[in-house]
Amino acid sequence: MSQTNIATDALVTFRDVTVTLGGNTILDRVSASVPQGGCTAIVGPNGAGKTTLLLALLGKVPYRGQISMSGEQEKNRPRFGYVPQRLQIDQGLPITVLEFMVTGQQRMPLWFGVRRRHRDRAMDLLKSVRMDGLEHRRLGALSGGETQRVLLALALGQDPDLLILDEPAAGVDFQGEHLFCDLLENLRRECGFTQLMVSHDLGTVTHHATHVICLNREVAAEGPPREALTHENLAAIFGLHMGLADSRSLADGEGSCSAPCCTEEHDHA
Amino acid sequence: MPDLTPVYDLLSRLIPFECMQVRFMQRALLGLLLIAPMSAAMGVQVVNFRMAFFADAISHSAFTGVALGLILSIDPRWTMPAFGLLVGLGIMWTQRRSSLANDTVIGVFFSGVIAFGIAVVSRNKNVARNVQRFLYGDILTIGDSDIWAMMALFAALLAFQAYGYNRMLYLGLSPTLAEAHRVRVAVYQFLYAGLLSLVVIFSVWAVGVLLVTAMLIVPAAAGRNFARSAGAMFWLALVVGITSAVGGLLISAQDWARTATGATVILVAFAWFLLSAAVALARTKRGT
Repeated sequence: MSQTNIATDALVTFRDVTVTLGGNTILDRVSASVPQGGCTAIVGPNGAGKTTLLLALLGKVPYRGQISMSGEQEKNRPRFGYVPQRLQIDQGLPITVLEFMVTGQQRMPLWFGVRRRHRDRAMDLLKSVRMDGLEHRRLGALSGGETQRVLLALALGQDPDLLILDEPAAGVDFQGEHLFCDLLENLRRECGFTQLMVSHDLGTVTHHATHVICLNREVAAEGPPREALTHENLAAIFGLHMGLADSRSLADGEGSCSAPCCTEEHDHA
Repeated sequence: MPDLTPVYDLLSRLIPFECMQVRFMQRALLGLLLIAPMSAAMGVQVVNFRMAFFADAISHSAFTGVALGLILSIDPRWTMPAFGLLVGLGIMWTQRRSSLANDTVIGVFFSGVIAFGIAVVSRNKNVARNVQRFLYGDILTIGDSDIWAMMALFAALLAFQAYGYNRMLYLGLSPTLAEAHRVRVAVYQFLYAGLLSLVVIFSVWAVGVLLVTAMLIVPAAAGRNFARSAGAMFWLALVVGITSAVGGLLISAQDWARTATGATVILVAFAWFLLSAAVALARTKRGT
């Protein structure tokens, strides 16, 4: 799978970011960067502080250190699109997918319906994530994968400079996660946003990321997948050998992995 | 203050029941026509945000607000909303900063407020007698000044709901998501908590402390059962709230009923809820 070229300048830079909650140090002097235009993946074990780093970026947790964004000095703060790990939707809430898509855009209250221009925009966004035709479905009736795609469409509606995804395909099966990431990669090429995502799945990361931050409270390694996902670095953050990603199998500038689906694809090729 | 007589006359002509020919009934109807849509509209968010316990805590603060007014020789009509507003904003402020669960924070405020009220009332037995009417509510004794205060609140609430209904829905689904997508969550939360506190306090005059939460959640819960969209839920909650208020007032004034107005209003709303639950059940069985 080919990867887009990464711009050399960083959209987001973390400098010595430390987060302490309830006396526990969740992040310890984390310094890393998110290159503009690329897909940066944060990998690490449970409790490594991956989500906390995203929440610090979103301003939802207090931190020491500095998080700077390019364009901030010109008072032109980058626009965020955010896809949470899993949205605990009140199943009984009578809100349709279309209504959900316009809640953050349309000022006129929904009791007077959805304005045509907001409807058209929402339909385009749903189509871009292959969810057209489901706009009148109740949000709570969607499957996990469908909900994540609607959340992605909602985030894209922000016209984001930076799309932040917290394990966007958690709870979705392996094939579903790859389809979701393929969709994201196409959208990133079309829309030109920078992508920052947390992922547990090293196979997905080696496939789709252009830049990797290995995190376990502190940064163990950072760089292109080929340089960052070495056995040594993975052993350092996960504490054991990880057989799924084999950095030596990654061709220059191209992602690959030793997961079964990829091996099969390569065999067929 | 402008005279409300033309409004009362109009109401007596619109609802030509014998009981509606007396002024206190016309005033009660106008009061309910202001309170019912306010509580139904705010109830939509109370139900969506699971804030029934919050409303309960505010309603019980009315009891302490009255007691404080009587002890300090200030008109309880001022101390009650002021104290309710203070408690509502205090709960929201603490919830946003505390790591405790929301219901724990509300529970702490709830017990503190009640204990304070009992402590104040226990010092003066006359106050205890006066406080009783706020437990059960008395819409039939409201005056024109109360009606004007309700109209002012109605206007503020209408403006808030028209401007913020969609954003409130957004942050009800996920405050983190809404904030990341540039919704001013804190502003909406405090405005909502303040307005809800005032609506609860005014509803206490109509149905009393014991039934005020029902006034908020029963029409909204019925509307939620009936509705298939977030827009429809609002209208259906209003229909249930207003018809329950008018129906309850008229029934309570009939010779064969002679029941407390607040309780009758809630009973009509409850009948609506049972009907809505049947509709929702039938819909689930059909799989639509």
